[in-house]
Amino acid sequence: MRQKFLSLVCISLLLPLALLAQEPEKPKSQQPMGGGGANTGPAVTYTSRRTVGITDPSAPVVFEDVTDKTSLSAFHHRSGEASKDYIFDTPSGGVAIFDYDNDGRPDIYLVNGSTMDALRGKEKAPRAALYRNLGNWKFEDVTEKAGVANERWGMSVAIGDYNNDGRPDIFVGNFGISRLYRNNGDGTFTDVAEKVGVARKGWSTGASWGDYDGDGRLDLFVPGYVQIDLNNLPPNPSDVGKSGAVGANFCQFRGVPVMCGPRGLPGEGDTLYHQKPDGTFEDVSVKAGVNDPEKYYGFSSAFVHVDDDKLLDLIVVNDSTPKQLYINKGNGTFEEIGYPSGVALNENGREQAGMGLAVGDYDNDGRIDFHITNFSDDSNVLYHNDGDNNFTDVTFQTGLGEVSIPFLGWGTSFVDYDNDGWLDLFVVNGHVYPAADAHQWGTSYAQQALLFRNLKGKFERVGAPPGNALANAWPGRGLAVGDLDGDGKLDLVINNLDAKPVVLRNVVATSGHWLGLKLVGDVAKKSPRDAIGAIAFVTTGNVRQRQDVFSGAIFCSQNDMTLHFGLGAATKVDKLEIKWPDGTMETFAVPSIDRFVTITQGKGI
Amino acid sequence: MKHLLKHFSLIAALLLVAGSAVAQERAAILTGAELTRVVPTGFYFQGLSAPTQMRNSAAARFGKDRYVISGLVDTSGYSADVRAKYVGFLITDSAISLNGESLPPGAYGFGFATEGKMTVMDLSGKDLLSVPVTNDKALRRPRPLMMAADAGGVRLYSGKDYVIIAAK
Repeated sequence: MRQKFLSLVCISLLLPLALLAQEPEKPKSQQPMGGGGANTGPAVTYTSRRTVGITDPSAPVVFEDVTDKTSLSAFHHRSGEASKDYIFDTPSGGVAIFDYDNDGRPDIYLVNGSTMDALRGKEKAPRAALYRNLGNWKFEDVTEKAGVANERWGMSVAIGDYNNDGRPDIFVGNFGISRLYRNNGDGTFTDVAEKVGVARKGWSTGASWGDYDGDGRLDLFVPGYVQIDLNNLPPNPSDVGKSGAVGANFCQFRGVPVMCGPRGLPGEGDTLYHQKPDGTFEDVSVKAGVNDPEKYYGFSSAFVHVDDDKLLDLIVVNDSTPKQLYINKGNGTFEEIGYPSGVALNENGREQAGMGLAVGDYDNDGRIDFHITNFSDDSNVLYHNDGDNNFTDVTFQTGLGEVSIPFLGWGTSFVDYDNDGWLDLFVVNGHVYPAADAHQWGTSYAQQALLFRNLKGKFERVGAPPGNALANAWPGRGLAVGDLDGDGKLDLVINNLDAKPVVLRNVVATSGHWLGLKLVGDVAKKSPRDAIGAIAFVTTGNVRQRQDVFSGAIFCSQNDMTLHFGLGAATKVDKLEIKWPDGTMETFAVPSIDRFVTITQGKGI
Repeated sequence: MKHLLKHFSLIAALLLVAGSAVAQERAAILTGAELTRVVPTGFYFQGLSAPTQMRNSAAARFGKDRYVISGLVDTSGYSADVRAKYVGFLITDSAISLNGESLPPGAYGFGFATEGKMTVMDLSGKDLLSVPVTNDKALRRPRPLMMAADAGGVRLYSGKDYVIIAAK
């Protein structure tokens, strides 16, 4: 009885009070739905944008923008209208680096968005594109032949050899119906999503492949973002002041009308597809306990080994809601430990607008850590894995806090760009509100990317020489890392919203030795053939590095699965250990370095 | 005189005990079904009703049947100026104190508009009281909002900052 009374307090006690107050109406500008991905606090007036034009004449040249020397310059991403009236206009743009034709040269797949007119059949849909790497920075657009143009509102790409035939397949997460392009091995692909049961509807974002149940077959996890009814769209900022829009309520950011969401819009649950022996998939989300009944706004995910057992765990990064960390219990179910592990929130107990996810052992302690990008006016976050499923937010003590606050981050990846044996960090940025350029919010629509050098566990920003690629600002989204020219230095590809992509060639002058590892699992031993879930440990002197073969993460993107170890000044590898997906460990002698090595489970180099 | 002093001491002691009994009425932090039963799914404040973030709600029971309920709400529907000062609600069905400041029964909005202070507002957004928060540096796993038992009543946390709610 008492409780019933309490639950009615808001209505019965307070409304009469509100009516009785009858004070002169206060100026209000309320709106029915959300206005941004983060609570940004009181408005602050800045004197500079802080996210563009930051250069350092003394900084080293690390990357060269070679986009216009390649055929990728012809690709133009498009997502909605330039005004960005709706939330689905803003996050598209994954990119993958993977060797689809097994010729030893990593290729590039760029996801494209779409438009309302294209969805209604009023204009040609934007096309995704596959570029075959011909070597020497020559790329051939093979989209037509390969049959992977998608022509739906693309968001993400995740690579995995789901049928263990030795040829990587492509999952494309769409705002709409997703696709699974099976690699036919002859330069063509076939969309088998409907046939095998992964044609997910709704708004699919950063997916991840992984064999969570140890049967040797890859399974697929796909986060869901927001539920949108295209026939009942929220108010949009372009209608402000238009006739007929009088009385409509608009979402705001710092008092300026902007597109609505995600807060205030209904979220979408997540989906786990388990692969059956016949190569089809079944939705086991609820049974496995990863269906996200709270319907958080999912953006990124990755199957990774959080603890030391042989089972793949799962992390899900959500926008404006807590992150989820699922520990694999080994019986087909997961336990969600986001809060107790410390990963759900930042060190101050605050939910953040999680976007991208970097996975790697940045301090070489043998455990996987996470870097997650967030909205502007908030810092990105670095979680150090302390072991025993405990994480600590070490963002500010490692030097990644203050510098990231003005930026709205998307793709993030650990990348040892100088081969010194310590994972550096690259972050792609760009705002969601074009209005950022019309107001002095201390930020901008297009933003510089951030490169951080790892100084044995602490990070420092690598400056941008004037005129260099890192001095440019882009509306960045997806990011992928791979050695595109086979020179032992990792290169990058960025997919930009409503713009051409950027190809960054690593030209750093001082670079250490290196080792590239391509791992092949033994399907007979129940390891997926592409070795997703394998861990390699490379020891040189007293440094033991760890790299994991994983799918997805970054932001809706895919790094080349060839593992890359910087060795610094070391001229040999003292020890190479591989923990295969089935849990078995093998140790190998590495005959020489500064080369790529293929290792097959049970057969050696 | 000695007799009078004795009586005075006795009365003072009795008053202290009685006062202490009220102040130290044990608080129970509600969880599970007990919690969801008392937390409203939405809250009216300054012209709008907004949904409660149920994951960020908390409640305590003082004695047998006196409740204090708090929750963050989805403020996305509010203008920027309201969002800057309003984050959630505080409902109490009996008189309480916040860091010693009296608050009568009722439903209120609250926020942390001023650095280091929690401000309680009436439903029109008018400030009623503002109390300094204490930062609990030792708190290992802070949450956006939670309650924890305290010798003086209940701690209402926002992240690592808290105020003490006591029954009156």
